[in-house]
Amino acid sequence: MNPLRKQRIYALIAIIVGSILAVYLVVSALSKNLNLFYSPTDLLNNDLSPETLIRAGGMVREGSIKRSDASLSIEFVVTDFKNDLKIKYSGILPDLFSEEAGVVVQGYLDEEGTFRAIEVLAKHDENYMPPEVAKLMEEAE
Amino acid sequence: MIPEIGHIFLISSLVLSLVGGLGSFIFNNKLPIRKIAFVLCLLVFGAFFILIYSFVIDDFSVAYVAQNSNINLPIYYKFAATWGAHEGSLILWILSMNVWLLAFISFDKTRNTDFSNFVFGVCCLVIFSFLLFTIFTSNPFERILPIPPLNGADLNPSLQDFAFTVHPPLLYFGYSGLLLPFAISISAMLSGQPNKDWASSSRPWTLLACSFLTIGIGLGSWWAYYELGWGGWWFWDPVENAAFVPWLLTVALVHSLIVTEDRNLFVNWSLLLSIFAFAASLLGTFLVRSGILTSVHAFALDPERGLFILGIFSFFVLGSLMIFAFKNSTENATSFYSLNSKEFGLLLNNVLLVVLAVSILFGTLYPLIYEAYTGGKQISVGAPYFEFIIFPFSILLGLLQGIALYLSWGSTKSFNFMTKLILESASIFLLTLVLLFVLFDELIPASFFTIFIFSWLIVGSIFINLSFKSFNRYLDFINRRIGVLLSHTGMALLVLGVGVVSSYSDEMELIMDKGEKIEFLSRDVELLDIKDINGPNFISKTANFKILENSRTFNLQTEKRTYFPSGQVTTEAAIDTGIFRDFYISMGDNFKGDSWSFKLQSKPFIRWIWLGALLITLGTFISSIKYLRRQS
Repeated sequence: MNPLRKQRIYALIAIIVGSILAVYLVVSALSKNLNLFYSPTDLLNNDLSPETLIRAGGMVREGSIKRSDASLSIEFVVTDFKNDLKIKYSGILPDLFSEEAGVVVQGYLDEEGTFRAIEVLAKHDENYMPPEVAKLMEEAE
Repeated sequence: MIPEIGHIFLISSLVLSLVGGLGSFIFNNKLPIRKIAFVLCLLVFGAFFILIYSFVIDDFSVAYVAQNSNINLPIYYKFAATWGAHEGSLILWILSMNVWLLAFISFDKTRNTDFSNFVFGVCCLVIFSFLLFTIFTSNPFERILPIPPLNGADLNPSLQDFAFTVHPPLLYFGYSGLLLPFAISISAMLSGQPNKDWASSSRPWTLLACSFLTIGIGLGSWWAYYELGWGGWWFWDPVENAAFVPWLLTVALVHSLIVTEDRNLFVNWSLLLSIFAFAASLLGTFLVRSGILTSVHAFALDPERGLFILGIFSFFVLGSLMIFAFKNSTENATSFYSLNSKEFGLLLNNVLLVVLAVSILFGTLYPLIYEAYTGGKQISVGAPYFEFIIFPFSILLGLLQGIALYLSWGSTKSFNFMTKLILESASIFLLTLVLLFVLFDELIPASFFTIFIFSWLIVGSIFINLSFKSFNRYLDFINRRIGVLLSHTGMALLVLGVGVVSSYSDEMELIMDKGEKIEFLSRDVELLDIKDINGPNFISKTANFKILENSRTFNLQTEKRTYFPSGQVTTEAAIDTGIFRDFYISMGDNFKGDSWSFKLQSKPFIRWIWLGALLITLGTFISSIKYLRRQS
């Protein structure tokens, strides 16, 4: 075989093997790591298993934040102005978490319909609204 | 009046860049390109300077100043607030493109040839399109008249910080530096410049862009680590990916240009890669500033702007691909290589880096694709996706990098170095394990892979040719290849940092009262008191800790700050830095009286990540200077 053609074949094989590896990784990573976003209304009627990691969000309802005095557990309610969702979390909250602000949480929905958050997502900027929540508010208006 | 002068400067540079851009293609080599580049740079600098001036004198009639500054803001931050948001950062971006152009022209020896003319022309057209974008959608000199506000809204408090003042300029400088490899690639195709010549002219600039991108991204990571208050150093946020993807492509380009220059191979590949690296930086800009992706970086969210950038992006990418289709290099290869050659090693390096970049880009864009196909269903692709993807690629790239510097062009005659490589890296691996065991009293198997890669990389860089018998020859070798050795060593340190910090980190969240004493990882941690402190534009609650660690006592202060006038609350973490571990405390929420929640963290080896990035920056910088010297 002439060396030029041989060279091209090497390059082609490397590129094909690399791409196959990438496609395999991307597909298997995506099938495991996609977190769908749900609004409180979406979560009202659903057949989600309590083991599925999901995201939910909305506006934190005024007066709904309940802290305990001695532990880091906290409860609050988010709303999409149609329905509410109760959220339980244990840990330190981001600085921009407050009443009547938009919030996105990541976690699991338990059998009683309470959301067990493992993460409350923080944003840099107080004027910033998570697009998912912004969309919910638009829909409500 | 003065802001209007700035506006006029912008408009004149718009006109001049169009004249330069079109002129260089019409009047063959007749254009005084040095003078035009100089005047253009001066005009944009003038506009930038006037914007800074408007910030410093608190001219709140300028809308951009009113939105991003405040009378009480310390003067240093007023200055830096210039690039604190969309409009000002664009001016800085355009200015740095001009500086790159000026630098290219000053170092270019092939003056007044088609090649340098077209480089100049392409740069001018890109600068023109950015100026057009700025003037029509994001004019920083827009006024609030007739009644300007008495005070400004303030700079986002998390940006009031030293790293913020240097991170954006360096990052933009790196981003915009990709303009030169792009322009060189287009110009090489149009002018038919011999491969060796354009590749050697592109190399120093690509290296320099890589250097600035690395330090820019590194500083961003460091800033996020201490300023956001929660100890993470990389979040796989779309904005981070928007910088990481161009970085990967730039690193690939740095390597493929070596083959193009030295062996006259991978020519079309390097031409294309130059285009894609630049395209990736434009795409990143588009993603960040159009607001179509959920990101922690809340840039101006304006669909009109997004559309405009998309227009610029499509014009340059489609245009250059058309040029590539008709003018690509058809020169036949003059050198050949086999599977055990340096060429093939670099080929693999490029395939892996580019495929990795594409996979990360895909994950970043996937939420958009998904939303479009499912009619509005929203998902997020989180850190686990990216970690899953990057791990196998890092292993493969690491294995390759370890042997890379031993390979020779054409074919490598002897693989005797493998025995030495394996023995030496096994010893370093064991030594590192011993060190970790001494430091942390435990060994975590999850970290073994990365520690092995670290050892492999160290041996594959600074251990090459190490011999105590002829130590002078070794020093001579180091001296000759200092750039590549530094960068490759930097990669090794970075890998170790990432590996150790992700498996040996520890954290604890708890509520503490004044005077309370607890134990965390065999350290005594005591909360001495909580004080109120007044800063220039904030008030804060400051918690004072005393820590006893291995008979060393030190104090740490963490703060909860409330900035006025915005009322925004930020956490200032307290960090005791160390080469082997950072001790990190951040303050949470107030409970009864003087009891607050706190998060205590130990972050072993995290410094090595940034140390590694610093070495890569230095290494690429030194190599770039060396090639520039060689040119002139």
